[in-house]
Amino acid sequence: MSEDMHARARHLIDQERVEGILADADRMWLAEHLRGCDACVRAAGETERALASLRSTRIELPRGLARRAQMSVRLRADELHERGAGRKLLWAVSGVSWALGVASAPWVWRGFAWVGKHADIPKPLWVLGFVLWWAVPALLAAGAVLASRKREWDQEPY
Amino acid sequence: MIEDDTQALARGLNRRDPDLLDRLIEEYQYRLFRYLIYLTGNREHAEDFFQETWMRVIERSHQYNGKWKFEAWLFTIARNLVIDWQRKKKPSSLDELMAPADDAPAFEPAAVAEESPFERAVQQQSDATVQALLGRVPAVFREVLMLRFQEEMKLEEIASITGAPISTVKSRLYRGIEALREMLPEGRI
Repeated sequence: MSEDMHARARHLIDQERVEGILADADRMWLAEHLRGCDACVRAAGETERALASLRSTRIELPRGLARRAQMSVRLRADELHERGAGRKLLWAVSGVSWALGVASAPWVWRGFAWVGKHADIPKPLWVLGFVLWWAVPALLAAGAVLASRKREWDQEPY
Repeated sequence: MIEDDTQALARGLNRRDPDLLDRLIEEYQYRLFRYLIYLTGNREHAEDFFQETWMRVIERSHQYNGKWKFEAWLFTIARNLVIDWQRKKKPSSLDELMAPADDAPAFEPAAVAEESPFERAVQQQSDATVQALLGRVPAVFREVLMLRFQEEMKLEEIASITGAPISTVKSRLYRGIEALREMLPEGRI
């Protein structure tokens, strides 16, 4: 028998275990080959033995493993619930603030224009003031959120 | 039916239902810990990653959509944590995770004990032999062998966990079986 035939037989032996299926023609060929080849029968037995050993191997669990995880998870869940409530409040405040900002924008614009006119401030300057009046609180809020995210990131152990 | 179960699970996870999480931890503790042992080859690391995996589960519970089996999602989280840790520890290719490092402790899971003292001793000896052999199989093969033959996962599920194409998973399995077979001392197990 040629080496190729043994190699094919061993590949099919493994394929049956890995893929769980063999084509009918392959199965018949393998059965026929195994009838006349002790070495491949031995290889099939070794494979089966190796996988049976793998399946039967057991691991001892550390004492209290699940209980510790359950406690940590419950604590974390509480933290996340609290944080979720805090975030909702932040969104609500931001929403109200944004709505008020939009609603009051025309009056604020007129106010800046009036101050610019009476204090003789060049238009680009009071327009810049108006833009900053809008942008600075948003930038501060974004900075605070980013800083809090960074803190969370740094605290992650892995 | 299974889909209904996973959808119900997804809804429970989304609510971060504490009783459901308790049940999941209890139910999957053995399989997750065993997977982590095979992945890291070290009990202490496996224990740390076990805790961390469940923390990630609760933090990302909204990401589980029930389309996959829960264990596939759980194992993916665990695997990503191990890979991230390995990357930070030693920035190099991911494949190095799969080959035991020179300074890495030996693969050291201990055997379980439930039967009579004699049966226990025999089982422990057998487990220890298999575990010692497995420790010599590169982790990249050890992982898929474990997922396929202990977890009895489908090739598609293994591919989703490992992020490798099915052809790669198959090739790793073939090479893993080959490695295991070559290491198996005749008549020892």
